[in-house]
Amino acid sequence: MIASNTDHSSVSVLDQVGPNIIHHVSNSDISHPIIHFPKIFGIDFSVTKHVFMLWFVAVVVMLTILIPVQKYIKSNSKRKSRWVTMIEYVVDLINDFISRPNVGTKWVMTWTPLFLTFFFFILFSNLIGMIPIFDFIGFIDRFVLHTDQNSVINQLLHGGVTATGNFNVTAGLATVTFFAIITAGVREHGFFKHWMNLVPHGLAWPVYIILIPIEIMGLFVKPFALTMRLAANMTGGHIALLALLSLMAIIGEMFHSAAAGIGVAIVSVPLSAAISGLEIIVCLVQAYVFTLLTAVFVGMAINVHH
Amino acid sequence: MDATIFVPLGLGLTVFGAALGIGKLAVAAAESVARQPEAADKITGAVNLPLFLLEGVAILAEVFIFLMLILG
Repeated sequence: MIASNTDHSSVSVLDQVGPNIIHHVSNSDISHPIIHFPKIFGIDFSVTKHVFMLWFVAVVVMLTILIPVQKYIKSNSKRKSRWVTMIEYVVDLINDFISRPNVGTKWVMTWTPLFLTFFFFILFSNLIGMIPIFDFIGFIDRFVLHTDQNSVINQLLHGGVTATGNFNVTAGLATVTFFAIITAGVREHGFFKHWMNLVPHGLAWPVYIILIPIEIMGLFVKPFALTMRLAANMTGGHIALLALLSLMAIIGEMFHSAAAGIGVAIVSVPLSAAISGLEIIVCLVQAYVFTLLTAVFVGMAINVHH
Repeated sequence: MDATIFVPLGLGLTVFGAALGIGKLAVAAAESVARQPEAADKITGAVNLPLFLLEGVAILAEVFIFLMLILG
């Protein structure tokens, strides 16, 4: 935000603050991507800021979770390092409190890997979004290195971003949930019985005329709510944080003195730090909620009890 | 005073409703844990799901308000 190389000195601060915040949380321009890929079937596959963070999170999850766990599984001695013990603690928590109560003992081994993938990916993505390392490097870039506006470094450093803050990413995760619900119901009950299980049996026939459209809508509203819940929580937290930090510039501009801005900083910066702490709790809670709701929906498809 | 003044008011009303619902849920949970402390885990598990559904409603309202303000 402050570390961009563009020159804004002729526009007032109050006009810049809004677009600045939006620019910080939204995706970079597709016409100036970080790495340019060609168009395939009309979709531009170039790597923008959000795509880069998505890959970065995927690499971090692979290095910290997948590879140690695979090494442990393949090892002969089965001696756990401390890190694998920590991962096992989380895996046990999810298995005992999210997976087994909702899905039932018969299918717990089938569906727990999916829930674990969701949990670890969303948790890592949320937490990495809270680390301002890219802003810090951008700060150094602005005042020390002075690279060009469109260079890779400058593009990369217009703020790191929360990968799951983009609703397209969470829509992808929710699509997996959508198909997981259908797959779970079909594997347990058979194809036609799963769709017949959408509505409870033994009701008077006029009720079905209303109930069936409502249930079909519910089939799509549940993953939609999953995507919007996660994306809005992540983006909203960052917007609130940025708005608080912009307060310094706004007050300094309103009173035309830098001292007023610095005075506000005594309130604004500790408040932002406290809200960042709250954001970390929200990151954990949102990862847990996405996983829990996926498990509940899959469980509802398997154990139908209206 | 054009019509966009009602947009944040709508958000406030929605969040007010969601907060009321979550409050009632918390009261019920606290009372039932007080009556039967050994069922605390089950009660927490039962409270979790409606809690997050209600929170999702409030967040959805916030998202739609942002979209209305920024796009419309």
